[in-house]
Amino acid sequence: MTSTLIESEDRREYRATRRRGLAVDLSMTLATVLVALVIGFLVILATGKDPVAAYEALLTGPLERSFRVGRWLEDATTLTLLGLSVAIPFRARQISLGAESQLYAGALAAATVAIFLPLPPVAVVLVPLVAAAAAGAGMGFVPGSMKARLGANEIVATLMLNAIVVRVYDYLVNGPLKEPGSSAVHSERIQPDSALTPLTEWLGIPFGRANVGFLLMLLTAVALWLLVTRTPLGYRIRMTGSNPHFAEYGGIRVPRAIEWSFVIGGAVAGLAGAHLVQGVYGRLEPGLAGSLAFEGIVVALLARNNPLVVVVAGLFYSYLRAGGDIMEQQTDVGTEIVVVIQAVIVLLVTAQALPDLLKRRLARGPAPAAQGRPVTGAASNGRTSAGGHTDGRSGVGGASHGLPATGGRVGDRRRGGTDPQGRPGAAHDADGDGHPGGARGEGEAR
Amino acid sequence: MSSVLDVVLSSAFLAAVLRVATPYLLAAMGGLVAERAGISNIALEGQMLSAACTGALVAGYSGSVAAGALAGVTVAVLLGVLLAALRLELGADAIIAGIGLNLLASGGTAYAVFTLLGDKGGTSGLKSGTLPTVPLPGIEDIPVLGDVLSGQNMLTWLAFLAAPFVAWLFYRTRFGFHLRAVGEMPDAAASVGIAVRRVQYAGLALSGALAGLAGVFLSMGYVSFFVRDMTAGRGFIALAAVFLGGLRPWGVFLAALGFGAAEALAVQLGTLDVPPQLVSTIPYAMTLVALALYAWRRKRRGAGEVAPASL
Repeated sequence: MTSTLIESEDRREYRATRRRGLAVDLSMTLATVLVALVIGFLVILATGKDPVAAYEALLTGPLERSFRVGRWLEDATTLTLLGLSVAIPFRARQISLGAESQLYAGALAAATVAIFLPLPPVAVVLVPLVAAAAAGAGMGFVPGSMKARLGANEIVATLMLNAIVVRVYDYLVNGPLKEPGSSAVHSERIQPDSALTPLTEWLGIPFGRANVGFLLMLLTAVALWLLVTRTPLGYRIRMTGSNPHFAEYGGIRVPRAIEWSFVIGGAVAGLAGAHLVQGVYGRLEPGLAGSLAFEGIVVALLARNNPLVVVVAGLFYSYLRAGGDIMEQQTDVGTEIVVVIQAVIVLLVTAQALPDLLKRRLARGPAPAAQGRPVTGAASNGRTSAGGHTDGRSGVGGASHGLPATGGRVGDRRRGGTDPQGRPGAAHDADGDGHPGGARGEGEAR
Repeated sequence: MSSVLDVVLSSAFLAAVLRVATPYLLAAMGGLVAERAGISNIALEGQMLSAACTGALVAGYSGSVAAGALAGVTVAVLLGVLLAALRLELGADAIIAGIGLNLLASGGTAYAVFTLLGDKGGTSGLKSGTLPTVPLPGIEDIPVLGDVLSGQNMLTWLAFLAAPFVAWLFYRTRFGFHLRAVGEMPDAAASVGIAVRRVQYAGLALSGALAGLAGVFLSMGYVSFFVRDMTAGRGFIALAAVFLGGLRPWGVFLAALGFGAAEALAVQLGTLDVPPQLVSTIPYAMTLVALALYAWRRKRRGAGEVAPASL
């Protein structure tokens, strides 16, 4: 009896902590976005343009006509899928930059099936999707297994794979898959039955090219959320991400978890490719995805790798992209300002110590500017080894289980090691810039 | 097949290799310095792009090529310092911060060009000029060698000097020794009195300067204008060369040269029947295989289950 009472109390407390964490996460995300928007506003102002008119177009434009809403939803589908695809390996603390190769492989697979393979009614839509997911998964498996089995750097591996696959794609679209007799460079159109049904057909609202892929994307997000939070595999991936040594000790086969995170992520990116082929363009186009693959990383970061939040971040970011185009049409401000805003978001999200610094300053009241700085620098500098990403991973890891946990821990530890001057372990500090103390602190935390 | 051989052995091709390899060599050396300082510089791409854009713009508006080049390199240095600051002061992940800086460069340059010139494509409307080429009086007249070596851009020569410079810096100077120590084991370096953060800042600034020279070459070397996203992934390839070269100056030099040669070859073969896209995948495939082999060998040697951060 008592044990169940304690258990339920524990559980309540755990849930309360989680709710608080989510609230902090959300407000941090909102604050990040807000600051980025303000900076974008200032940049427009500084370049001598009218920021108010520009922002009006940017922020209200996409909702003004239904086909603009359609364009937004269409873009959000691809972008969110890409965000989801990197969020999964990020959860295992793997920095996969391979969404590009996975997307192109998926697009190729979907298009090849959808153009050349005659299939019965339902299969004609589904088989290309499955083929795309499989191709993407395959492209994820290569760097994933290289990392998991051999310890090869996944960043280099995924970048190389991107370079290869994009070139092969380019070759195929210009060569074997090029539409015969056409002067333009693109493939033949897919069979009409393979196309994802446009939302217009269902809802009767002219939504342009937006299609059921959007619903598919929502389903994928929910499925991935369930996978991450409710399944043993998801648990293994999360544990691997938060502390691989502990996970190993607890009997989790870390390499397997890493490999799976890449494969799953790859499959989702493959679906993004299928969406572009079956839903948006209806064929293979050169440079199909533009810079979307890297923008997916922003979405995942902004959402702190929570699949459900990725949907929100994806919708938000596509909204900005759609608004940026309208802004450029209606005002003299270039759409690129959106990329600048996005970059500021990334930089703010990565600057982990920033919210921590802010929190401590709020807790202590106004403090001299010099006080917090060396502490932060030293702590973050600890354990930077040859490549700088052993410790660097903490950025992604921290993001994956939310800032409050990491931030709080770091903050406490720093306070613990701080002498009255606000420097960590200054007594052991040989060069006087705060290193050894901070470095030791970081070591203990692991 | 003989036609391929003809192409490869022509002096025009060899000259093209030197030219095409220039940005790779410079950027890869930049990446190497940062990597050995313990901060992965994935922002090479953005640094090159910003430098290329700033160089062309400043040269175009001021009328001075030298001022343009200097401004370009300065911007890249500042981005390097910013990356170091994000990493060291704010605890940012170097990779993610680097991606952010790349985005910033991509959006920022395009926005700047569009705002200043009203042109989305680039600065071709601006008269920017190029950095001088170097004629070699004695060698110019030697049949093949003269065609290959003489008349190359001054930055090409600088690029080929970058590797010995970095090697000298790493292994012959105090700063280089500190840099490697900091990258290898910051705690140990700090305990013997090396100002870890100062060394890392300096390393990242130098890294940015080298990447900046690479960018300046793109917009002010062979051509005299900036084109949107004209780096086209060269920064990432340079980073791959850093790893493929085993984090050693001469290894990185050879890897970068190899990437340059492969790209030049792909361009040349465009006129023949061989699909240039497939030819240009060769260096990347080689890198992938080399990466796997290297990791496999290290694992067999039993370097422990935890892989070092690099490679």
